[in-house]
Amino acid sequence: MQSGRLGRFLRPSTLKTGFVALLIAVLIALPAAAQTTVRVSGWGGTDIAIVEELIERFVRPAVEPQGIRVVYEPIADAYETYIVNALSAGTAPDVFYVDIFWAEGLMRAGQLEPLNDYLAKSSVLRAEHIIPELLDAFSLNGQIYGIPKDFNTLALFFNKDLFDLAGVPYPDADDDWNTLADKLRRVAALGPDFYGLALQPEYARFGAFALATGWEPFDENGHTNVLDPRFVEAFKWYTGLLADRVGVHPQDVGQGWGGGALSTDQVAAAVEGAWILGFLRDSAPNLAYGAVPLPKHPGTGQRGNLIFTVSWSINARSQVKEEAFKVLEALTSPEAQQWVLERGLALPSRAALVDNPYFAQPDPEAQANLVVFQGASDGYVHPFKFLNYGGDWMAPINDALGAVLLGELDADTALREAQQRFDALTGR
Amino acid sequence: MADARTSVNVPAATAAPETPAELERRNAAARRAWARAGLVYVLLLVFSIFFMGPFLFATLSSLKDDPIEWPPRIDPPQLKPANWVAAWRLGKAGGGSGWFGSFGPGAEVPFEVTYFVPDGVEPQAPIVRVPRRLPGAGIGAVRPGAFAADYAIVSDVVETGRKPAEQDGVTGQLVTYSFTIRHNGEDVVADRLPLDLEVPFRQTFHSATLAPNRIERLGRVQSWNNVTPGVIPYVFYNYTRVFQENYSRTTGKNLFLTWIGNSFFLAVVKVLTHLVIASMTGYALARLRFPGRNALFMLILFSMMIPGQVTFISNYLVLRDGIFGLSRLWGQETLLNSFTGVILSGLCGGSAVFIMKQFFESLPRELEESARIDGAGPATIYSRIVLPLARPALGAVAILTFQGVWNEFFWPLIVLTTPQDKFTLTVGLLNLRQAYGAVALDWGPLLAGAFISALPVIIVFLVFQRYFVEGISFTGIKG
Repeated sequence: MQSGRLGRFLRPSTLKTGFVALLIAVLIALPAAAQTTVRVSGWGGTDIAIVEELIERFVRPAVEPQGIRVVYEPIADAYETYIVNALSAGTAPDVFYVDIFWAEGLMRAGQLEPLNDYLAKSSVLRAEHIIPELLDAFSLNGQIYGIPKDFNTLALFFNKDLFDLAGVPYPDADDDWNTLADKLRRVAALGPDFYGLALQPEYARFGAFALATGWEPFDENGHTNVLDPRFVEAFKWYTGLLADRVGVHPQDVGQGWGGGALSTDQVAAAVEGAWILGFLRDSAPNLAYGAVPLPKHPGTGQRGNLIFTVSWSINARSQVKEEAFKVLEALTSPEAQQWVLERGLALPSRAALVDNPYFAQPDPEAQANLVVFQGASDGYVHPFKFLNYGGDWMAPINDALGAVLLGELDADTALREAQQRFDALTGR
Repeated sequence: MADARTSVNVPAATAAPETPAELERRNAAARRAWARAGLVYVLLLVFSIFFMGPFLFATLSSLKDDPIEWPPRIDPPQLKPANWVAAWRLGKAGGGSGWFGSFGPGAEVPFEVTYFVPDGVEPQAPIVRVPRRLPGAGIGAVRPGAFAADYAIVSDVVETGRKPAEQDGVTGQLVTYSFTIRHNGEDVVADRLPLDLEVPFRQTFHSATLAPNRIERLGRVQSWNNVTPGVIPYVFYNYTRVFQENYSRTTGKNLFLTWIGNSFFLAVVKVLTHLVIASMTGYALARLRFPGRNALFMLILFSMMIPGQVTFISNYLVLRDGIFGLSRLWGQETLLNSFTGVILSGLCGGSAVFIMKQFFESLPRELEESARIDGAGPATIYSRIVLPLARPALGAVAILTFQGVWNEFFWPLIVLTTPQDKFTLTVGLLNLRQAYGAVALDWGPLLAGAFISALPVIIVFLVFQRYFVEGISFTGIKG
């Protein structure tokens, strides 16, 4: 009975009318596309203002005469999820940010366009213009999958007042682990409310010290060994700083990270990148701080460092790749990068900009930026990526650091547990 | 007997004399009643603090300089009337109004600061600086406005008084200095006048015309975000930042106001479409007899049972193609990034139809029958008889819809991605989180924005509480 009633609504004439309406709609739609549109995406926040400004000042004047229209679509949140979904759905933008942290998965899946041919033909943007360590981070099997837009490395930021008060010389570029620990110990001796180094329980900070020993995150079989004596040495040194208040967990001074700890005037130093500068401008505008390269390992005489970087990449399924590359060229042009640098917004990926007068300013921000800029090519430097394990790879190390710094486990037990998890993750 | 009765007073006759035991029992009963009432009140109070506490705490934090300070204070300087008065005076002195201050031509800002100097230390006048302070995050970091530092002239610092004092068991003296900051007369108005004072190490800050925003460098530097604030930017600093620092690069429009406007627009339009469609559908389902009525009702019920996450991809694709190309009839290639798309994809919800249908079924049929005898058709009955009677149900639908649309987040987030002036308030707030919280751990503007976004729903709830409850009691459905 029900189907009989429904059948009356589905008479052939109704269907025919609907079909004709649809046909008309499709026919009207056909004439379109006079101009080529290139869609550009990045994440939200302060970046929106920067990219809008870049597009307005540098990209539109360069590409609009060639009939290319640029549409900027910032993604407010969950950017990685958005990009992965949009790539699968075929709605992804033509040019977009790729963070080194999750880049490898996209590169291996063939979602990003290899840029070697474009770079070889370009007059504005060649592979040799970009700092090689950064380009390597976005390369796989000889193919380049992204042009780094900017980057960050780690440096030692310190509170000059506390060193002055304790009568201790400031940390400098010649310090090794022992001399730095000694200086920090003397600052911490100021009183029970003072501490040396903010010890964030994260590979994103500690990793630089582990790398300084010559330890490699993966051996030739792709296996991770945290029981390697070099890693163990770095781990014990880092967590051992907790004694005599030479180091402190940021939580113990009511803060969530090294930058917050440094702004309290209780902690002498923190290992952070240039991202700390914006925070200090707002939260501690008068803090007398300095920045120096991370200390060297006494044995190897080298520093370690991590590179945090984000690229502009092109969608492998884009319909307008040639045009997209023109937009990419304009986004990473020397003029655009210089504009970003001179406003202290980010560090440029073009090697030639090291000679920019900005870096010669006595201003502490410019000096800190220079130290961070040079960190990319000094010692054992690794990009902040872990094959395609992503954050899973760091979890065992972070948990071990956390457990030891909070006094829950001793270093040997924590590392044994971490190794078991790595064996499960990366294979024996 | 009768004599005896008349001889006693009337009140005494009604309340027979009590034995001590009776009195004791009565008092005990009264105590129990009080105790019960007290317990109920305490419980209610505990629950209301439990549920309202986080909200009130967030509101309080949104006024602070450092919303995540630890340990949290409940008396930030922003809540002290003395500072309100100072903010008013300084705002006027800076050339602005008492409510909204600024630093413009003609400004002459007197400032006084007092330090505690222990005995044996020679007091020194503070070094006064008007810094060029660039915001660390948000749009201000990219496109700063005029710096007050370029137009400010600071007078000599004069010592104006000393008096002996004791602080934490140390004897010493309180030394007061004063100075004036003038505008150099160029035709430029800066929206704020930041100030830093620096003194030697053992000289500690005691008080000033306006309480400083932070004390830095182990007490040596006192720092103000703005010494000519006016009352509103002083008390509601984070709120003014939300409005001032978010404007569109392309159109120059104030983004936060635009977002509020967008949310209102969508909420009002959707409330109207819900009212029209739900009442008509509800009436048809409740009263009219037509083939497929039950199937249709089942379908509507079924649509309520499918979570939005299941259908959002297909809905998204439908909007992307402009409802199979139909939108090209009115010139839109795609319905993504357009309010038309958001409105069309949520014209009416199953729960609204359900509320209306249930309500119409509860109306006595006799009303409509008598109208039909008078010759009214279904359309007349609907518009003249039924709709005026349905005001409570319409109110419930309107309020629940308004609240739902105002707070809707997931769907606008997916459909409205560019440009920023298309965002609704909820999506805009997410953007604030990225702009301030994620970059500079600066949670003040985000808390302020969240409070503003909660306001309309709170007001609607307080005014229309009755309808909320009715909406739930009609159907047992919330929202």
